Amino acid sequence: MKAFSNVHPAVCMTYFLSVLLVSMFVPHPVLQAEVLFGGALFCALLGGRRASFRDLGFYVPLFLMVAVTNPLFSHNGVTPLFFLNGNPVTLEAILCGISIAVTVIGVLLWCKCYSFIMTSDKFLYLFGKPIPKLSLVLSMALRFIPVYIRQSRRVSRAQKAMGLYSGKSIVDRVKNRMRVLTAMISWSLENAMETSASMKARGYGGKKRTSFFPFRFRTSDGVLLAGTIVLLAVTLAGAAAGVTDFNFYPRVGVIGNSSAAVAVYAAFGALCLLPSALEVKEAVTWNYFVSRI
Amino acid sequence: MELFRVEDLSFRYPMAEKDAVSHADFSLESGEFAVLCGPSGCGKSTLLRLLKKETAPVGDKTGRIIYGGEADVPADAGRIGFVGQNPESQIVTDKVWHELAFGLENLGVPACVIRRRVGEMANFFGIQDWFRQRTDELSGGQKQLLNLASVMVMQPELLILDEPTGQLDPIAASDFIAALRKINLELGLTVLLAEHRLEEVFPIADRVLLMEGGRILLNDCPRNIGPRLSKLDPSHPMLPAMPSAVRIWQGTDVGGECPMTVREGRDFLKRNFKSRAKSLSLPEYKHDDAVFVEMKNVWFRYGRDLPDILRGVSAKVYRGELFCILGGNGAGKTTALNVIAGLERPYRGRVNIGGKPIKEYKGGELYRRNLAFLPQDPETVFAHDNVRADMLEILETLEIPKRERDERIEKTAGELGVSHLLDRHPYDLSGGEMQKCALAKVILSEPKLLLLDEPTKGLDAWAKHGLSEILNGLKDRGLTIICVTHDIEFAAEAADRCALFFDGEFISEDTPERFFAENSFYTTAANRMARELWSNAVTCGQVIECCLSAGGKT
Repeated sequence: MKAFSNVHPAVCMTYFLSVLLVSMFVPHPVLQAEVLFGGALFCALLGGRRASFRDLGFYVPLFLMVAVTNPLFSHNGVTPLFFLNGNPVTLEAILCGISIAVTVIGVLLWCKCYSFIMTSDKFLYLFGKPIPKLSLVLSMALRFIPVYIRQSRRVSRAQKAMGLYSGKSIVDRVKNRMRVLTAMISWSLENAMETSASMKARGYGGKKRTSFFPFRFRTSDGVLLAGTIVLLAVTLAGAAAGVTDFNFYPRVGVIGNSSAAVAVYAAFGALCLLPSALEVKEAVTWNYFVSRI
Repeated sequence: MELFRVEDLSFRYPMAEKDAVSHADFSLESGEFAVLCGPSGCGKSTLLRLLKKETAPVGDKTGRIIYGGEADVPADAGRIGFVGQNPESQIVTDKVWHELAFGLENLGVPACVIRRRVGEMANFFGIQDWFRQRTDELSGGQKQLLNLASVMVMQPELLILDEPTGQLDPIAASDFIAALRKINLELGLTVLLAEHRLEEVFPIADRVLLMEGGRILLNDCPRNIGPRLSKLDPSHPMLPAMPSAVRIWQGTDVGGECPMTVREGRDFLKRNFKSRAKSLSLPEYKHDDAVFVEMKNVWFRYGRDLPDILRGVSAKVYRGELFCILGGNGAGKTTALNVIAGLERPYRGRVNIGGKPIKEYKGGELYRRNLAFLPQDPETVFAHDNVRADMLEILETLEIPKRERDERIEKTAGELGVSHLLDRHPYDLSGGEMQKCALAKVILSEPKLLLLDEPTKGLDAWAKHGLSEILNGLKDRGLTIICVTHDIEFAAEAADRCALFFDGEFISEDTPERFFAENSFYTTAANRMARELWSNAVTCGQVIECCLSAGGKT
């Protein structure tokens, strides 16, 4: 179990929203670099070394593609480097493209971490609690989908083994899909009937429902939440005060180095590294315990 | 103290011609473990469902049920717990903890109480290790245990179970029955269980209710059931379903107290037959010269980084024999069958069918007039809304002329005894009926090789016997049959040869008598009783035959 998985869902959600909000709406090279670095580090810690290397094969080409697209279509900027089909390719557009690519990859990495940490039950806890019926329906749907997929594989395998699935022509294939589908409809109805009987037998549809979730808000969650809010507040205050304003066009701006700017960089950097630090701390404590045993 | 009493209860479904339950009269004491048994379709399920308000079927009901002094079944869903047969479809939510909490949420119990009760039950059933897992990733046995636990959190006074082990393998089924016994002994809960695995439940039950044709035929303690049943009718269809010890006792006809367990059965045999022990003479094993299926050094795994499931499997199956593959759960038996069926491709080694490598069968050729495969869940075979339409579809792919089709269907259906079911919807059939219809459908393709995956799952003793006769008939027509099963008793009765699959290969294969005689645990109950006297007597019939030839009582 990863350290951040044990954090209360509300704190997780607040955290992820803070990082994503800033990374999408405050375009500043330093902050973008921090998003990318923090996201990559956290992702690597969650997924392990092997998965991270495999992912490089996806993210590097995507990065290049996004970075190259911008200068091809945007010809703003005052420093033309060369001409392509009579159109200027400018230094500003290239840098802006790289900046966009960094943001896109950074956000993607954070979304990946999000899906790893915020499992369906945590999501249901946050958004289903006010509406218990909805949370039950979502939970049932989340169960039904994998069960349905598995059953439809079984059906298509059984049909194939009866020679009904030669798969030569397209007409044949469509017909077979239809056959599996009709079989699945009967199965789903039958299954739903049994499930509803089981629900009724356990008192569904009677009194007002309560909902139970196995999550607790601990002191450490409070500390983490407070930390997130403070760091986010500093970053947003800086952004509102114009410390993080940055433009690529018409000429690449200057990265501020006033003390206010440095404070914003530090605060947001700390925010991005928070979960990774938590993971590392957990690992270190664990090793310390092991060495003491 | 009496928990409930059923008085002259009759029930008839709308449009039905006769009563599903007729004049049932019985009562259950608080804390009793009662077993309800009877052939499929005898009204067990209907009777059980009538005992709980939320599951009671719609129809004509006469007579009454007095529950805890009140004149009707209680309206409070929590007081009576119900667990059905299908482990999968009873689960409602996506996470184990949510499923456990579901019933209490419905009753409006506050979250802090739910936390305590769920924790307590998870602990009692040993669920804590998979408490946060997804429900669709559990094994069948775990799913059924979860269904039981999620009923138990509601703290019922009575637990009703309708064939809960029908879809489980023998090990999971024993675990489940052990959990029921634990509930009954440690929590003092009253249990009413419909079951066809009588071998395991007879020794632990306080009372057995035997139903036939909607009536309660016998209501007695388990030890008296066998003797009373054989006195009533020595060829009663429920006798083959009795535990092996009871069947041997009845078949040898020496009287005395009826044994129920393997230990008692062994004592009974030693007491009565010890001095005239003889070995059972068996006909010599003969097989056809032609090898029909051959696996040569077959290796298989599901993914590059996953472990090998088949590790150099080699086997020969001769024409016209029934070859049973036995083995534990997850041993790879089903995978081996799928490889023979051409549904999975081995990464090394060869599979020949009818002397020709499986790769050389092109398109659907393998599945037309060569090989038929009956999967574990027979419902996956059907795609139409009546059995006849499903069968016609097969004949269409075989390009059989239209006028011959009906005749062929009638003929095959007649052979398998399913003619009366042809116009029914597949999902309206009972487990045994659906199995037979599915078998009829796959053998319409005129296969030379029939592959069966767990064909006895969910069948009662009577239906199993019927299946083994059908398979014998098919064998006489020259079909080669390979059958994967957990069911030792079935393999002993039906197989020509048995093979044990373990650690990715066949570790032993022989005729059932020699195969089981060599094993000391992995063998039939009858053999465990008789092995010290006649080591190669494997089925109840063979033990009885030995006893009779030994000349009755010493």
